[in-house]
Amino acid sequence: MANASGSALAERLSVGGIELEVVRRGTGRPLLLLHGAQTVDPRARFLDLLGAHAEIIVPSHPGFGHSPRPADFETVYDLVHFYLEVLEALPHEKVTLLGLSFGGWLAAEVAVKCRHRLDGLILVDAFGIKISDRETPDILDVFNTSPQEVRRRSWHDPEAWAPDFNALSDDQLVVRARNWEALCLYGWHPYMYNPQLKRWLRRITIPTLVLWGASDGIVTPSYGRAYGELIPGSRFGLIERAGHHPEIEQAEAFVDAVVKFLNR
Amino acid sequence: MDAWWQCEVPYPFVPQEVLNAADSVRASLPNRYCDPKVAADLFEEVIDEFLLCDDLGLNVLAIEHHAGINSLLGANPLLVGILARQTRQVRILSLGTLISVRKDPVRVAEEYATADVISRGRLEIGFVKSGGTEMASANANPVNNVERYWEAIDLIKKALSHHDGPFSWEGKHFAHRHVNIWPRPWQQPHPRMWSATGDPETAAEVGRRGMVHVLVLRGPEGTRRAYAAHRKARAEAGLPKVTTDNFAYAAFVYVGDTDEEGRRVGEKLLWFLHTSLKSAPQYSKFLPGSAPPHAAPQVYRTAPTSGAAAPVSLANAEKGVASAGHNAARLQSITAEEATAQGIFFAGNPDTVYKQVMEFYDKVGGFGHLSLVGRSGFMTHAESEKGIRLFSKEVLPRLREIKPVTVD
Repeated sequence: MANASGSALAERLSVGGIELEVVRRGTGRPLLLLHGAQTVDPRARFLDLLGAHAEIIVPSHPGFGHSPRPADFETVYDLVHFYLEVLEALPHEKVTLLGLSFGGWLAAEVAVKCRHRLDGLILVDAFGIKISDRETPDILDVFNTSPQEVRRRSWHDPEAWAPDFNALSDDQLVVRARNWEALCLYGWHPYMYNPQLKRWLRRITIPTLVLWGASDGIVTPSYGRAYGELIPGSRFGLIERAGHHPEIEQAEAFVDAVVKFLNR
Repeated sequence: MDAWWQCEVPYPFVPQEVLNAADSVRASLPNRYCDPKVAADLFEEVIDEFLLCDDLGLNVLAIEHHAGINSLLGANPLLVGILARQTRQVRILSLGTLISVRKDPVRVAEEYATADVISRGRLEIGFVKSGGTEMASANANPVNNVERYWEAIDLIKKALSHHDGPFSWEGKHFAHRHVNIWPRPWQQPHPRMWSATGDPETAAEVGRRGMVHVLVLRGPEGTRRAYAAHRKARAEAGLPKVTTDNFAYAAFVYVGDTDEEGRRVGEKLLWFLHTSLKSAPQYSKFLPGSAPPHAAPQVYRTAPTSGAAAPVSLANAEKGVASAGHNAARLQSITAEEATAQGIFFAGNPDTVYKQVMEFYDKVGGFGHLSLVGRSGFMTHAESEKGIRLFSKEVLPRLREIKPVTVD
């Protein structure tokens, strides 16, 4: 592809006066995808695979990608309330909500608050709750850990999948830096979780799938299992040979699991 | 011109192989490498050096840095409290408690008011923005650091100057519904305030607020630009012109009997750059907020691309933040000659040091306060005291003759 910039492939979605960058793909059952620490590359293989089964809507959160961040927008709860507005603004009566990593935290929060607009929830290597004791962090502190270690723990096969910054375009690097800064602003403290969320996960009564990369070293499968156990009736699925980004490292297995859930 | 002596109380006694193997000598180096008995000796010597400054009429300055070999002064108010009691005549500048990493600015105001009273009005209050490894050490969000900085200053200033019973503060970053500190400060309405910054935006705000504006190890271009931003912001806001008394500069300074001695001993100060700047990328170039996103192509790439724009210069020697990797490398391998040429190292006999200071003074449009980054690295107590004596007796009287002037 001649144009390496993601922006040229993205559309806009206007909600509550905020113009979001959004990637759309496929037709079928509507699926709203909330991205993680990094925005979704419009050329990601899983989008095309999943697009054969669902209409996928992937906004970049305010402050991420090419989406502006209003100056008074700086907590996770701004994002959560914003996505409640997005759900109301979408033409679909109900959508399936899929959240990756940091976006999984947002998705869980939204699902606690708004069951009536959702027909299913998929959490993938999600942040959002505190499981272990006070001296055992559940989620790797990506801001205070060496980049090599974060890279090693993010991927099952870092050599094959970790991005090479020297090979990315200027625009892609600027987007990475925006994403990094926004993630820090929203998620610094308490680090990537809401102390109260665990208490309310029982409100999620819609069908829920918790999917985890078996080799995730950012937040481990045991955390994922514990997360799932707090959501009544949820199913847990492990994706082998994948780290924190199973949708990228094992696109087929990831899409198979999602499609099976959609067609349940 | 006034002068201020400081020592960051660095801890250089960690084996070199340990430092070589560590990815960072700040924030993450285990404190088992800090022997408390050695640290106690260091503090004793350095506090004696501060007291020598008091005997000689050289003002003193206490900094704060956290969790690293570059400084054991993680608790600035403790040293300020000691100096408030143990010194008798000189002024004491706290530069300063790292307010944007402290959760409770009202407590900071209490500490400062107490030190001002104990010293009977000799305290000056400086603020530094902090950054780099301090964010990790203090669990402080680096992205909105500057916002917290200004809000904390506003709250501290009000807490120091409000005398009519409790007031309420419900700000964006700090909430304290019942503020009423005792004692109130000796100096009214509050001790003079300083701010250390080089970036033009913060410099402009420092100017509008009329604070003493201090640049630390920035060299002539960066310093001149920051002072200019300060003056321009005042002019644009219709505020009166300030004199050189509003401007300060901090550099490594050492005075010997001869040029040879001044340079040979003074060169030991550069340990600070050579050894104590080493900071892991997560605390420096990849720290969110440390560089604007548009600088990412230079920050993230390790190999140059053809036709790439000139690297953005984001070096900040004082904090150990060097957003462009080559800047950090440059500072860590800087020679004494280069450091002098760049206006961050003034060393030699008294005449030479006076001349170097005044050359810098002329290059930046004048300043009213020189801060001496004294004793660092393996400089001995005796060497440090000799430098303090020579500076105080041979250089300071000449600098004192330079009176504040208004500069356009």
